Formats: sequence, C-alpha cells, structure tokens
Amino acid sequence: MLLAFENPLNESPLTFPILECIHIVGFAFSVGTIGLVKLRLVGLGMRRLSPAQVASAMAPWTLFGLGLMLTSGPLLFSSDPDMYYLNRAFQIKMVLLLLAMVFHYTVHRQVVVRAGPGGTTSAGKAVACLSLALWIGVIFAGIFFAFT
Amino acid sequence: MSLLEFCQWVQSTDLFSAIRGSWYVYPSIMSLHLTGIAIFGGMVLVVDLRLLGVALRNTPVADVVNSLRTLKRAGFVLIALCGILMLGSKAEEYYYNVFVWAKLSLLALVGVHALVFRPSVYNNAAELDRAPQMPTRAKVAAALSLLLWIGIACVGRGIGYVETPIDKIHAELIGKR
Repeated sequence: MLLAFENPLNESPLTFPILECIHIVGFAFSVGTIGLVKLRLVGLGMRRLSPAQVASAMAPWTLFGLGLMLTSGPLLFSSDPDMYYLNRAFQIKMVLLLLAMVFHYTVHRQVVVRAGPGGTTSAGKAVACLSLALWIGVIFAGIFFAFT
Repeated sequence: MSLLEFCQWVQSTDLFSAIRGSWYVYPSIMSLHLTGIAIFGGMVLVVDLRLLGVALRNTPVADVVNSLRTLKRAGFVLIALCGILMLGSKAEEYYYNVFVWAKLSLLALVGVHALVFRPSVYNNAAELDRAPQMPTRAKVAAALSLLLWIGIACVGRGIGYVETPIDKIHAELIGKR
C-alpha cells in the first residue's frame, strides 16, 4: 500500500548527505572511544591508566557518539526503508550492531571492571578482540551495503 | 606529462586496475579506511579534548599525548595507505572530483597545523602540564584540529556523491572498467 505521506527528509537533496556526515562523526566518536578502551585492554595506548579509568573517561563521549549515530541512522533508514530492509548487508549490519552494543555493555564491561590497574587476563584480551571484531564487522557491513 | 595524464597512467597500472576490477576489494579497502578513521579519530579526539580540558582532566597532558603517539601514527599510516589505494584506482575520475581536491587541501592544512602547533603544543606537553592554566594557544590548536578532522571526514563522504563525468573519462580506460 502506498502511503499518501512524503518523508520531509526526501524534500531537500542536502538532508541525506548532512545526516551521513553526522553519522560518520558520531561513528568516529563512539567506535573511536570504544576502540581506545579495547586497545588498553590488550595492552596498547594509555597504559598509565587502568582499563577502568580509560573506560570511565571515555564513557560520556562514547554515549555522545552513539546518540549521534543512533538518531542519524534511523533517519537515514527512513529515507528508503524498503531498500534497506531488503538489503542483505544492511540486515547483517543491524544484527552485528545489536551484538556489538549488547556485548560491549555486558561481557566487555565486566572484563573492564574486573581488570586490575596493570591490565587483564588472556580471556579478557580475547573478549576485547572479539568486541573490536564485532564493531569492525559493523563497519564492513555498513560499507558493503552501499556497494550491493 | 600533465597531472591528468599522470592520473590516467597511475590508474592503468596493474595494481590499481586490479583494485578497480574486483567488486569487493574497493569496499574492503574503504571499510579498513573507516576502521582506521575510528581508531585514529578517537585518539585525535582524546588528545584534543584533554587539551580543551573536557576529558581526562586528572591525567597529565604528557601522559595522554605520549601514550597515544605511536598508535596514532600507525592509524594514520593505515588510513593514508587505504586512501592512496582508493585514490589511485580511480585516479582519473577523482581528478575531476571537487571533494577530492577539498579533502587534499584540508589535509595540507593539517600539515600546516602540525608545523605551527607541534613545537609549542603537542611536543611540549610537559611544559603545558606545568602551566597553571592551559595556554590559549593549546586550546586553539585543539579546536582547530577537531574542526579540520571533522571537515575532512565530511568532505570525504562528499567524494562519493559526485557522479562520474563519463564524457571526460579517457575512452581506453572505460574499456578496462
């Protein structure tokens, strides 16, 4: 059924690219600050601070980035929902994004909390790598759905 | 050899033709480019936010700058390498792309920024920690750096919006696409 409703987002050719820029900046803030915590867990980067200190310093900026990303994302989606919904790469992106966020705020957070000032165990490092891999998966799926 | 001819030559080399010829190599390089942007961008962000006094206030600037220096460089190399691979594979098309030129200009400004602020700010972190207040110069450096990198990310997205000027592209190269 066709709705007699025009998405205001589709009225200006500039809306979509501007939203995309916000999406990318939000992405750099969130995944970048998340990445710093994961790098710290595997022993790279800000080693003078404990993983928990890095995590708590980054947390507000991660949330700020996620906020930008999770508002611009659905707005971008609303410009052409059918196209996105039916795209396999987009479906994979959404699944990976959900997994990455849940994993980040559950298992990964526990590892950070339990890590000592020096660092974490091998299992903790594995969790950090898996978590990072999930976010990189989100990025790959996000790019590939523009190409498929 | 003009710049345009150089671009055509670069694009026609085996390496760059192979990148262009595969459907998944270019998007994979772009994904790595973005991964690098997140990691490198995150580090630029943290250093700049520390200089602006809104994050990690209890950690000395020197600790933040020095602990991230190597990773930042590694991230920049990854981004630049991926960028060059993408640029080279469609060099002729990008020669006509205004956003590519805007991005390269902003990157040149990043170089100027480094020349101007590196000696007194980024390589002078211990001195900044001794100062009773963060010097204005350091805050200006941080704000400009944030603006430049956000601008580069946005202009980079713009590159994909310019349609290929088919009429201007060298006929021989179109055959190889």
